[in-house]
Formats: sequence, C-alpha cells, structure tokens
Amino acid sequence: MNMASLLTIVLMALATYMTRVLGYVALRNRTLGPRATMTMEAAPGCVLVAVIAPHFVAGDPAELLALVVTVAAATRLPMLPTVAMGIGAAFLLRHLLV
Amino acid sequence: MSNTLILDRTSPLEGGDGGAHSEFLRGLRASLPVLCGFLPFALVLGAQAAQKGIGSFELALMTGLNFGGGSEFAAIKLWTSPPHVLLIVAITLLINSRHLLMGGTLAPFIRHLPRHRAFVALFFMCDESWAMGMADARRRAAAGEEHPFSLPYYMGNAVSLYLVWALFTSLGVMVGPFIGDVRAWGFDMAFPAVFLVLMRGMWKGWRAGFPWFVSLTVAAVAYLFIPGAWYVAAGALSGIVAAWFWVGGEQ
Repeated sequence: MNMASLLTIVLMALATYMTRVLGYVALRNRTLGPRATMTMEAAPGCVLVAVIAPHFVAGDPAELLALVVTVAAATRLPMLPTVAMGIGAAFLLRHLLV
Repeated sequence: MSNTLILDRTSPLEGGDGGAHSEFLRGLRASLPVLCGFLPFALVLGAQAAQKGIGSFELALMTGLNFGGGSEFAAIKLWTSPPHVLLIVAITLLINSRHLLMGGTLAPFIRHLPRHRAFVALFFMCDESWAMGMADARRRAAAGEEHPFSLPYYMGNAVSLYLVWALFTSLGVMVGPFIGDVRAWGFDMAFPAVFLVLMRGMWKGWRAGFPWFVSLTVAAVAYLFIPGAWYVAAGALSGIVAAWFWVGGEQ
C-alpha cells in the first residue's frame, strides 16, 4: 500500500469520527428547552427517511411496487419478516416485471 | 454494605435489568435481521474495491477505521491511483454529516456515561445501531427506567454490525467477483425495510410525522436534481427546520 492511499484512508476515518463525536460534544452539557426537545424528537425519523428517499423516486414500477410491499410489511410485522418480505418482493418483482 | 451491593446492581452501566451480559446478547440478536442487508453489500464493496486494485488489507483498514458504508462506496467509486485525497475526504464529510445530528440526539441519553465510554460507543455509531439504540432507549424511558439507554445492548448490536462489515468487505475483495449483482437478488431492499420498521417504532401519528414527509420530499427532489450526495443533508435539515416551526405553531 502506498502513502497516498494510507493518508486518504486515515483522513477519511478522522473526518468520519469527527462527525460522530461533535454532536455529542456540542450537546452533552446542555439542557434543551421544550421546543428544541420536541424538534430533536422528530430528527431521527428525518434522517432515516432522507437516507432511503432514492427508493421512493426509483424510475421503474418493479422498484416502486417492491417498496409499497415493504412499507406495508413494515407497518405491521417485526424486523426479520419485514426484511425477508422486502428482499423477496424486490427479487420477484424485478424478475416478473422486466 | 448490603446497601452498596443493591446500588451496584442497579448501576446504569449494567443496564439495570438482567445485567450487562444478557443485554449485550439482546443487542447481538437485534443485529441479525440487519445483517441480511450488511453482508451482501459488504461483499459488493469488496468486489468494487478489487476492480480498483485495492487489496484486502487496505480495504479492511478503510472499513475498520471509517465504518461508514455510504462514504466507503463513494470513496471506492472515486478511487484512482494515487487517490484524490481532498476530494474523497470532502465527500466523506458530506455523506457522514448526518452523524452530527445523530450524535446530538444521542447526547441526552449518554451524557451520564464517563466520557471515554461515550467516545468508544460513538465510534461504532452507524445509522442502524444509532436508530435501534434510540428506539430501545425510548421504549425503556416509557417503561420508567431512570437511565433508559442500555450501553451493553447498543454495543452488542453495534459491534456485531461492525465486525461483519469489516470482515466481509475484506473477504469481498477475494470472493466478490464471483457473486454477481446482489441487487438482482433484492438484497438492497433490506435497508429501507430496516429503516421503515425503525420509523414505525418512532411513529406518533400523522401530525407529529409531518417533518418526516418534508424530509422525504426534499431529499427525493434533491436526489433527482442535485448531483452528488447532498440529498441526505438537505432532506434531514429541511425536516428539522419544519419540525421547529411545526412544534412552535402547536404551542
């Protein structure tokens, strides 16, 4: 491995670790007011849904149908069956609707 | 004497109920469905790295030190020999900027921990381990636990995800070229499935969920029209700004 690769990897890791600790460092000694607390309660869902947003605007119908199945499963089933149904639906629909 | 023993048994670091050992195992079990998504994509990342001439050790170093799948896929895609250091670090920062928010929401739950423990716990924070740790803490808070965040549960979950990711990405450098397209098998749907189940656990009705729809809409539009990885930051921030005004409007 050359120095440039090693440097890139180490700097990537430092940058990522910084993003992981800074939020905690900034807020660990603060007590948020009621409005900020309620706002922060919405934050986790905002982050999660933003990460998977590309699935909601996938171009072809097989992707969107598979997502509909997954959303339906997620509203009533535990984690493992939902994951299994999501993978199964994506697999089947991609092969059936091509 | 007996008083001290009783106090020790309910120490927050022990998770309060059942002890650290069983809490760690509970976290380990919770990680299993998530691994359905992690494992195939770890192999894929390895296969893509192999195509760029990156070795097993080099990739294990990256995934073991960085531990952020999104930024690693982007880094491999941009990888040249020698790599553009600043470009890759900037993209890494952008993709992982959501951790700032995640660490902030975790802060009230882990502020009672000694700082060195918090810093170790945060090293292992990924989308899944954070969301599951938060969901578990909220459940326990609703059940009246004084320190609802169970560190051993979180660590059991997070360390399991970490080890599988680091091991199978480096394994993927060797076997990845033989597994083909994992998207064709539907494995990529494991991520929305996991995230949606976690969101159901946080759901408090349509009114409280409004900021999520703002986040989803802005992220989707940004994904379609803005090149690069801005959509997560754009969506999440819009959602939070919406939540701030939404909450204010209710009072």
